[in-house]
Amino acid sequence: MAEERIGVYVCNCGTNIGKVVDVAAVAQSALEIPGVALAHSYKYMCSNPGQEMIAQDILDNKLTRIVVASCSPRMHEGTFRGAIKRAGLNPYLLEMANIREQCSWIHDDAAAATEKAKALVHAAVQRVKFNEPLESRTAPMCPSTLVLGAGVTGLTAALELADAGQQVFLVEKQDHLGGNVARLDLTAPYLDSAQDILHSWISRVWSHPNIRVFLNSELTELTGFNGNFKPRIRTEDGESLQLDAGSILVCTGYKEFDASRIQQYGYGRLPDVITSFELEAMLQRGQLQTKAGKQPRYVSIIHCVGSRSKEFHPYCSRVCCTAGLKYAFEVKSALPAAHVSNLYTDMESFGKNCEDFYRKASEARTSFMMFAKDQLPSIRKAAPIDGCNMLITVKEQLSGEEIEMPADLVVLMVSMEPREDASAIARLVNISCDKDGWFIESHPKLDPVATTTDGVYIAGACQFPRDIPESVVQGRAAVARILAKVAQGKIAVDAVYSEVQDKLCSGCRTCNSLCPYGAIEYNSEKHLSHIISAVCKACGCCAAGCPAGAIKVRHYTDEQIYGQIEGVL
Amino acid sequence: MAVRANPDLIDELQQFGAKDAVKCYQCGNCSAACSHSDDPYVFPRKSMRYLQMGLEKPLRSALDPWLCYYCGKCSEQCPRGAEPGETMMGVRRWLTAEYDFTGLSRLLYRSFRSELAAVLTVALLTGLGFLSYGFLRGGGNISVYDGPGAFLPVHAIHTFDWTMGIILGLLLFINCLRMWKFTMRNQNALPVSLSLYVRNLLLLPLHFFTQKRFRHCENKTPWANHLVLMLSYLTMLTLIMVFLKDMQSGPAINWYAHAFGYLSAIGLVATTIYAVRGRLKKDAAYHRHSHESDWMFLGLLLFVSVTGIIQHILHRVGLPMAANITYIVHLMGVVPMLALEVPFSKWSHLAYRPLAIYFAQLQQAAQAEGALPLGRPAKPQPVA
Repeated sequence: MAEERIGVYVCNCGTNIGKVVDVAAVAQSALEIPGVALAHSYKYMCSNPGQEMIAQDILDNKLTRIVVASCSPRMHEGTFRGAIKRAGLNPYLLEMANIREQCSWIHDDAAAATEKAKALVHAAVQRVKFNEPLESRTAPMCPSTLVLGAGVTGLTAALELADAGQQVFLVEKQDHLGGNVARLDLTAPYLDSAQDILHSWISRVWSHPNIRVFLNSELTELTGFNGNFKPRIRTEDGESLQLDAGSILVCTGYKEFDASRIQQYGYGRLPDVITSFELEAMLQRGQLQTKAGKQPRYVSIIHCVGSRSKEFHPYCSRVCCTAGLKYAFEVKSALPAAHVSNLYTDMESFGKNCEDFYRKASEARTSFMMFAKDQLPSIRKAAPIDGCNMLITVKEQLSGEEIEMPADLVVLMVSMEPREDASAIARLVNISCDKDGWFIESHPKLDPVATTTDGVYIAGACQFPRDIPESVVQGRAAVARILAKVAQGKIAVDAVYSEVQDKLCSGCRTCNSLCPYGAIEYNSEKHLSHIISAVCKACGCCAAGCPAGAIKVRHYTDEQIYGQIEGVL
Repeated sequence: MAVRANPDLIDELQQFGAKDAVKCYQCGNCSAACSHSDDPYVFPRKSMRYLQMGLEKPLRSALDPWLCYYCGKCSEQCPRGAEPGETMMGVRRWLTAEYDFTGLSRLLYRSFRSELAAVLTVALLTGLGFLSYGFLRGGGNISVYDGPGAFLPVHAIHTFDWTMGIILGLLLFINCLRMWKFTMRNQNALPVSLSLYVRNLLLLPLHFFTQKRFRHCENKTPWANHLVLMLSYLTMLTLIMVFLKDMQSGPAINWYAHAFGYLSAIGLVATTIYAVRGRLKKDAAYHRHSHESDWMFLGLLLFVSVTGIIQHILHRVGLPMAANITYIVHLMGVVPMLALEVPFSKWSHLAYRPLAIYFAQLQQAAQAEGALPLGRPAKPQPVA
């Protein structure tokens, strides 16, 4: 240990760190720690000259370990690991002290912040002394993909993968392909037929040699790990089938809100209050009429049914504004004499060309009535003298009047919500759901189709309300991620993972249920638990839970943690 | 109390010339651009909304449309091309029809054919009437223009003018009463004391004669043009109603009748031609759109002015028969113009505008006195 020569580098980060923390003093204090051979401060350690300085010092001064005191390791750990690797050091012999997010950005008292920075650097130095050189490994990659759900997202993804020459297993719970889009009549804003859009894809999917379609089937079990999953599905015939798939793409879509939950709309009680999907079915049949078989003269479309509500869903379902405008066109085209009104809280037809669509709907003599989110309209049956089926009472915001609107047919723009089996699927493929039940992506902006489980991707409206173009884009984005891995032919396995020391393991299986990633197998012959390093994320739950202390987390050994604690004290 | 919407209202208003109100998305740029729009008379935005929502009753009881002079600023500012200025014009036509108890106004505004037929019928009856009066009265000679043996003697015309004036005034008065009922006696209006009515009475002549509010529009040209037209017409009306005998007493005409007559004739012709030119060129928002009733009005005005001038010239150059015939043709324009326009059409605004300003002022004064609406809403119910 005594022969270690540690280099400490303290970053100014422009003024981000330097204006609060006295970086020169931090570097100076580091020099006093035994084992520290040199300490520098510099304006930007992550810059090329900064990295070059570290590499040159390693060569010139025979440094054996490096501490960089700068930003969060999430930001630049990779940068500095690369720099020391280029100079011939093992990348795991680096330790970072976060003196930006955890110090300069959150403190005003410069003197105290400097003292804290010194302590953080001290901790990093004491820890790095115990760091061990580690090597990353690779595992083979199975090129085929399991696509869950054959809606518009699943279809496009399956075709892209198959066209790239890869095997696809397309598993669909229903008895037909097309998902929710198959339930639509026209699409907005170009009023193309949804059936036409789907038809070419569906026929290609059926005839594609690289796609195996499983209708009326579902995933029952998923074992294996990134690149080597073993999904088990129950097929149409009740048969249990195990497949080999390197990647899993979940695109299970959404379901619609149950409109009867909003009492004053009278859905289920008033026969001519219908949901947007019921209207789509009417339009598909070409029979736009009331339950009594009459042509409606007044058609009202109520927006935000279940969306943007404290009681039901806080989020906006995003597609309904434009879909409601689409109905205005479709109703007018079927019944030119009909009056169409849109009752909305906010109108935002956000897509490409959709603002024009909104303007045209307005020009096509659609009235737009605004209500407040906490003053929902109410619908009641009209008397014969009223000359209409129903009366909608709405406190209209822009005129300030309480208005009674005649209505013959009321269409509720029901919100999109996670499917009832979403949480079961999440458990099966080991991904998480947010508070509303949507699948969570790895990063909302930078990694929108990956999940926290490597090799499992999400796309389309199972992640959040999406329109058709967005779902298609997401499906293809996931395919790009999958094909990039397939092109490498293997997957990199992080050097940081947990290991069971067989000698100490009693086979109690405590760790098996603790692992959030399903990375621990139990060998019932040897009575030992075994961690699949490719699946393990090194979270440490198993190590903390093991009653025998048999589990060691690489790069997070007890010595390293104790060293860090002693350092900071 | 909820207001029942009439989704057909907007269709109806389109027949009165309201343009593109459906395009409005209530951004409020129109009201921001308007120099007159102010709380509680926020126009055109609010009227546009009533129209879009089919709120017939609130629209019928609105004073706002009469407070707008149509300078066109709002239409220039509208981001959606909803033509708020022209919509207000259409609403004013609709209101004129709503105020009119005979229903004639509705017929004339909605159908140009009916309007044309009405004008021609009244013109024909007028022509026939005066011809038969001239010939059948005994001793009538179409070759005598002035003096005691004139074909159309001054006293007869005078009697006719005053009779017509009283009848038309009465009709307009009844319509004004209806306007008062709609705008001042609805459930949202504030009750106004008799003393307030009396104290503010001077507003009526003030705004009738000066149109001083119109001057506050950003575009001053329409105001100036309108003022000249109105003053010219009033001068001519005074000459005819009061000084007809001086104009038609004999070959010698008083200097003042000459001076005022020429001035007002020039004013009438010039402003009418200016208005026609603007409506043809469509170079400003306020005359970009023309309803048939606008053309009918300008046409009749021009016809009446020109035949009046020709009649005068023929008389001065000593062609009494031609002058008499032109006189009858002139009357065939004057009578339908006044009989149809004043109580039933465009010209009724001479009463409705000053009244609306008066009523609006009364409402604000009543509010300052702390009055509560006539149809006071029931106590708000606690939310269940």
